[in-house]
Amino acid sequence: MNNCKKNSIFVLFVTLLVLSGCCRQTQVILLPDQDGTVGAVTVANKQGSVDINKSGESTVVANALSAPKKPTQLSIEDVHKQYSELLATLPDQPKHILLYFLSGSTQLTDKSMELLLTVPALIESKDSQHISVIGHTDRTGDEEYNLRLSTKRAQAITDMLIGQGVAREFMTTTSHGEENPLVKTEDNVAEIKNRRVEIIVR
Amino acid sequence: MGKILKVLCFFAIFTLIPATSYSSLATVGVVKSVTGKVTVTNADNSSSAAYKNMKIFEGDTIKTGASSSVGVLFDDDSAVSFGPNSSMKVQEFMFNPVEKNLSFVARFLHGSFSFISGQLVKLAPEKVRLETPDATLGVRGTKLIITVE
Repeated sequence: MNNCKKNSIFVLFVTLLVLSGCCRQTQVILLPDQDGTVGAVTVANKQGSVDINKSGESTVVANALSAPKKPTQLSIEDVHKQYSELLATLPDQPKHILLYFLSGSTQLTDKSMELLLTVPALIESKDSQHISVIGHTDRTGDEEYNLRLSTKRAQAITDMLIGQGVAREFMTTTSHGEENPLVKTEDNVAEIKNRRVEIIVR
Repeated sequence: MGKILKVLCFFAIFTLIPATSYSSLATVGVVKSVTGKVTVTNADNSSSAAYKNMKIFEGDTIKTGASSSVGVLFDDDSAVSFGPNSSMKVQEFMFNPVEKNLSFVARFLHGSFSFISGQLVKLAPEKVRLETPDATLGVRGTKLIITVE
């Protein structure tokens, strides 16, 4: 009887340990990005929720059964030191290149033509095999026409890049027609900034 | 004989359906750096060693060994780096602004990570969810360190 009691206390103890997740926890630290912008994170579970929104602010969650702890302020210098390798492993942001076209055509403006010629070198320097070419139009003309035009534009740029030695299999060509404008306009408005092909080099 | 054929057809259909749905998965990201031992396990449970410029798909689990690390760039420009002995699953990833199919759910199972948010956080922050076994992170930008012990 005594033994049985001891056993059940032991089982209860182990169960509590497991439930409290004694050996595990989550920590979240907020850092500024390259241009110094600091975002915000809400850390939440069924027990509660905590916002962190300052540079170096951190919260710890002991387990799913306890609420996130009140935020603490860490020294950015210490965080950078402690996680230097982790932060250095973050891939560089991909490069977005915007090329602009003459109205209704697949012909690039002179300036964009110059820019296009720099793209193969960029692809090589990033050792990229994952390049998106996305065509867009402005809202002159109907949707169907614009989808066709943006496809033609993206294809024209893809062909030019192939001509400059970029491997076809590294490129994905898509078109968004007039659906994804850089500058929002009313229908049938000509807007050079929307007549574009975006190249993303990852 | 006809019965057997019918049964075979039945099974053939059911085994072919999942096969085609796997192959239709789109790339969601790319491995940009690898140090040490890093494996990627697909949604169909096949594993392979990670390499630079390897494509990542929805459902992949990426795992680093001791003294290993990996850097992954996602199609919306978000990026994740893994420290040693770390494991994360890309539960959901959809980045199609035209059709408004947007979502990013990542499960940080164990280890240390840094994360930079991308266009999904800008376009639909409510659709981006970073999960750990202890909590869920709603991200409104930008750079984070997440450790799961």
